[in-house]
Amino acid sequence: MNALLLAAEGGSEGGSGLSIILPAAAELVYGAISFVIVYFVLAKFAFPKLNAMLEERSSAIQGRMEEAERTRREADEVKSQYQAQLGDAKGEANRIIEEAKQTAESLRRDIVAKAEAEAQAIVSRAQNEVANERDRALQELRSEVGALSVQLASKIVEKELDPAAHQHLVDEYIQKLSRTN
Amino acid sequence: MNLLLAAESCPPENPNCFHVPTLEELFEFAPLFGEGLFAFNRVSLLYVLAAIIVCALFIAALRNPTIVPGKLQGIVEGIVGFVRDQIALEVIGPAGLKFVPFLTALFMFIFVNNFYEIMPLVQLPSTGRMAVPAFLAFTVWCVYLVVGAKEQGIIGFWKNALLGIEMPAAVRIIYIPVEFAQLLIVRPLTLAIRLFANMMAGHILLAVIFIAANAFLIGFHGEFAINFKALPIGLVALAAGPAMVAFELMVGALQAYIFTILAAVYIAGSVHADH
Repeated sequence: MNALLLAAEGGSEGGSGLSIILPAAAELVYGAISFVIVYFVLAKFAFPKLNAMLEERSSAIQGRMEEAERTRREADEVKSQYQAQLGDAKGEANRIIEEAKQTAESLRRDIVAKAEAEAQAIVSRAQNEVANERDRALQELRSEVGALSVQLASKIVEKELDPAAHQHLVDEYIQKLSRTN
Repeated sequence: MNLLLAAESCPPENPNCFHVPTLEELFEFAPLFGEGLFAFNRVSLLYVLAAIIVCALFIAALRNPTIVPGKLQGIVEGIVGFVRDQIALEVIGPAGLKFVPFLTALFMFIFVNNFYEIMPLVQLPSTGRMAVPAFLAFTVWCVYLVVGAKEQGIIGFWKNALLGIEMPAAVRIIYIPVEFAQLLIVRPLTLAIRLFANMMAGHILLAVIFIAANAFLIGFHGEFAINFKALPIGLVALAAGPAMVAFELMVGALQAYIFTILAAVYIAGSVHADH
């Protein structure tokens, strides 16, 4: 390092080391030109392009976000519509089932009532017929017995003289009676 | 030390002799062509190349910018986003948006010129020459004075800067000349010198490390004999090389950032009257 410093102090011919510290005029010219070019290229070309692109990007993002929001809202609407429809349909189905149940119940009740009434009617008809038949048979029997008694009485009157005939007559009558029966 | 003395006794005409380069050798270059104000030397070439590199990067990335960015566009958007969010908006606020191109140009131009320090085949930080730091500091000085005059009026700007803060009269007597000098002289001077001195020191550091590695590993050895006194120093210097290169990469990036953020701070002081 000593050598470096010594060289710095003694070595330079013109500026005694000051030329190392001060800007060299020619380098200043080229440096200034270079930086000015960089600044103008960036300010006049690169940044307008960049800013335009950034604007485009932000509007694209904005647009996409709005679109997504709109789609979401639409989907929500459709969903709530469907839900409402589904609810309606469920209510409708329940109503139909309820109605059907009621209809079936009333039908059942009707049929049972009808059947019971019919059975009742059949039974009472049969009872009536039986009663009528019995009445008729009694009636017939009564008239038959009357006629027979009259016949018997006349026969008895006809054959009174003969006890054997009388007996015979009685037997005959009983036989006849049993035959007719 | 006797190694160095031995080296100095070696005749400088012999290219195998150890030779300590002077600062002029490290930093001053003869013109490649041209003369006077337009003498075009190695440093000028690096300045122009830096402009071409930065412009090419931004033009290539943003010639046809797409909404979904490609790799290059993503990188450039990252750089611009960093300058915009971390520097302009952070320091100046919403009013800082219109300074983003200027701050980005500063940051990128300084960074490329700093990066030359460790770029293979270049190995010379062109910001280690005072020209660009001085010009950029001058530009920042112009910008914050003009912005201050525009935003607050010339009188308003100076009134706010010198009389804007409540303080006892005795303090104000000291405050006014100090603040005046700081606005007009200290700010641009420190801005330029901070960048220039950091990069110059970095270059000297790397030069010393590389020269030491070269000299102690090769220069001090005879044609058929190894100098065992010199070898360990050479090995240490060789090992330090990559570490120093990494360190200088950090310094280069950091100095570009510091210059840019200080420019933003100065502009912010001109945009807003309150300190």
